[in-house]
Amino acid sequence: MVEDNAPDSRTDRDAGTEAKSDGGRYLSVEEIPETAPTADLTWQERIANVVPSKRRGLKYVVAITIALLWIVPFIGLFMASIRPLSEIIGGWWHIEGMTITFENYYQAWNHSTAPMSVALRNTFIVTIPAVLVVMLLGVMAAYPFARFEFPLKTTLFFLILLIMAAPPELVAMGNYNALQRFGLFDTYMGLILIHIGWGLGWVVLFLRNYLLGIPKELEEAARIDGASRYQIFRTIILPLSTPALVSVAVIQFTWVWNAFFFPLVFMRSPELYLAPQALPLMRGRVQVEWGIIAAGSIMTMAVPVILFLLLERYYKRGMVAAVAD
Amino acid sequence: MGSFDVISHCMTSVSMKDVSKYFDGGNTVANYRLNLDVADGEFLVMLGPSGCGKTTALRLIAGLEQPSDGAIYFGDERVNSRSPSDRNVAMVFQNYALYPHLTVAENIGYPLKVRGIPPDDRDRKVEEITELLHIEDQVDKKPGALSGGQRQRVALARAIVREPSVFLLDEPLSNLDAKLRQEMRIELKRLQNELDITTIYVTHNQEEAMSMADTVVVMNQGTIQQIAPPQELYKRPRTAWVARFIGSPPMNLFQGTRHNGSIDLGEAGTVELDGVMDADEAVVETANQDDASAASVLANSAQGDVAVGIRPEDLALSATQPSSGNVIEGTVDTIEPMGEYILVNISVNDQIVNAKVSEWTVSTDERVYLTFDDDDAYLYDDNGELVG
Repeated sequence: MVEDNAPDSRTDRDAGTEAKSDGGRYLSVEEIPETAPTADLTWQERIANVVPSKRRGLKYVVAITIALLWIVPFIGLFMASIRPLSEIIGGWWHIEGMTITFENYYQAWNHSTAPMSVALRNTFIVTIPAVLVVMLLGVMAAYPFARFEFPLKTTLFFLILLIMAAPPELVAMGNYNALQRFGLFDTYMGLILIHIGWGLGWVVLFLRNYLLGIPKELEEAARIDGASRYQIFRTIILPLSTPALVSVAVIQFTWVWNAFFFPLVFMRSPELYLAPQALPLMRGRVQVEWGIIAAGSIMTMAVPVILFLLLERYYKRGMVAAVAD
Repeated sequence: MGSFDVISHCMTSVSMKDVSKYFDGGNTVANYRLNLDVADGEFLVMLGPSGCGKTTALRLIAGLEQPSDGAIYFGDERVNSRSPSDRNVAMVFQNYALYPHLTVAENIGYPLKVRGIPPDDRDRKVEEITELLHIEDQVDKKPGALSGGQRQRVALARAIVREPSVFLLDEPLSNLDAKLRQEMRIELKRLQNELDITTIYVTHNQEEAMSMADTVVVMNQGTIQQIAPPQELYKRPRTAWVARFIGSPPMNLFQGTRHNGSIDLGEAGTVELDGVMDADEAVVETANQDDASAASVLANSAQGDVAVGIRPEDLALSATQPSSGNVIEGTVDTIEPMGEYILVNISVNDQIVNAKVSEWTVSTDERVYLTFDDDDAYLYDDNGELVG
């Protein structure tokens, strides 16, 4: 520490001992700590600092209540899926004498009328192309909307928004007839095309917003560096769009995977049924097999949840950037 | 041997002939009838306030914008319809425009990659350039992990790596702090001397312009006010607007009316016109035309509005009224001690006049007298043109 002697001793000036001459008014750089000094608090003070105020505490209570309401049905479903039917028939919340079993999962997977193994495979067959094609077509359509000037640009964009506002039930009849005529009814190709068509609208809107946020200078720099339009798209725009494309993939995947209405209308043959269609078929003849249905539901919903957890980091970045402007 | 050793510095002169640029279907005039010649290897700086069209002019040369009118030539070739890459220009943007998803090495190598240069040559070239700009330790980092100065160097490296024929810089130093700006200024100048590339540099910072330029182009409201080397620009501003723009603080202009050989500055006093005219004729030996017009002003000695310009450093300050010479009277408004000099702001006829003095001799609200030599005065007519 600096010795505090003779605060105003101007005579020391030439000696070059700054700490002495300025009487401790200035600190040398070495004295600055790396981290903030820990305050000397008693444990009572520390506890008082941590306990929230009444107002804040009330907010916590409300938030936790809503979170519980949200998750309780899921817990019920999960409990039903891992316990024998006899234990859950009186309510899943009785947890005394609980037996954990994976029998329900086994039975759902190999179900006689609607095996989940087949239903999940079918759902993948439809979902994966419906997601990948929408991503590719979507970014290719969104880029011109974000960057180029062309005739009817605003009109076309407005049209996309307009069509998005139409409920699927309204146009299902038209789609049904069209698929019949093209011979695509009750085929995966037909269903995939319907999903692509419905997905493109919001994907183009979403990606356009994201692309607008990419600085124009980057493309101008690339133009000056000698890149062609296609090279700019492939080497600059696509890599920079990764977070938005991941968001699109996650949302579109969830949407297509969980879709019930479109498969219901456009898929007729039971062996081609997708998972959401297969679940009601597991009901059983004599009594409702709640455990098996619950296990099937958990398996069905697990796929988009796992995908979301894996890609969460990118997904959040993409969402924030696309919605920010 | 890589293909790069074969390419010599293919320098190019750039010229603009009556180039105009309109936006919004003609509602906005960004540039109007620019005429400009940039010689091989010249360092030209476009200087002007924000919105004066200097960046648009640069983008026209780059090929990022098409001129609405007029022609741009690189050497003898008209390049109006050529793409930026065909023009072989390189550009450094104000915000650097580095590709955030690529590493420093990939950023610098990008222009070579899209031109199909083989990876080995590319790597060697990137290595050379990063050494030249002292960023060889940063090559594996992403731009986001670099400081402002390092980003600037990467942007420069990316621009010069393919040895462009014209090098364009759009306010490249404006995002750096003052100390770094000074360093980069020196480095840029050195780099330009070494590489000898025709360079066009846009800035609103006159210190940058004066210190680096071979030639300064002063722009205002989309058009060129003056093209001159830095010293000439300072010594002989062509218009009153340029006079007020160049210098820190800029030249003081006193509005007055001519009365048979003298200029009446209102309450502040009177300045003998003869002295100012004669003196400037002596100082600017080469300006024959101006002599002629000065003579005509003298001959045409009817009344009229003129402006007398004096630089702050040419004004002397005294508390007592001097007996002879050019004297302007005013009241001290504020005093700014700047360290190397003291800036005194004096109120003259409701106008603030700056004077740079070395000694603190006056105090606020004091009545003072400003004197100056005939040699140091400039005279502008009512069109703002320099007459003497």
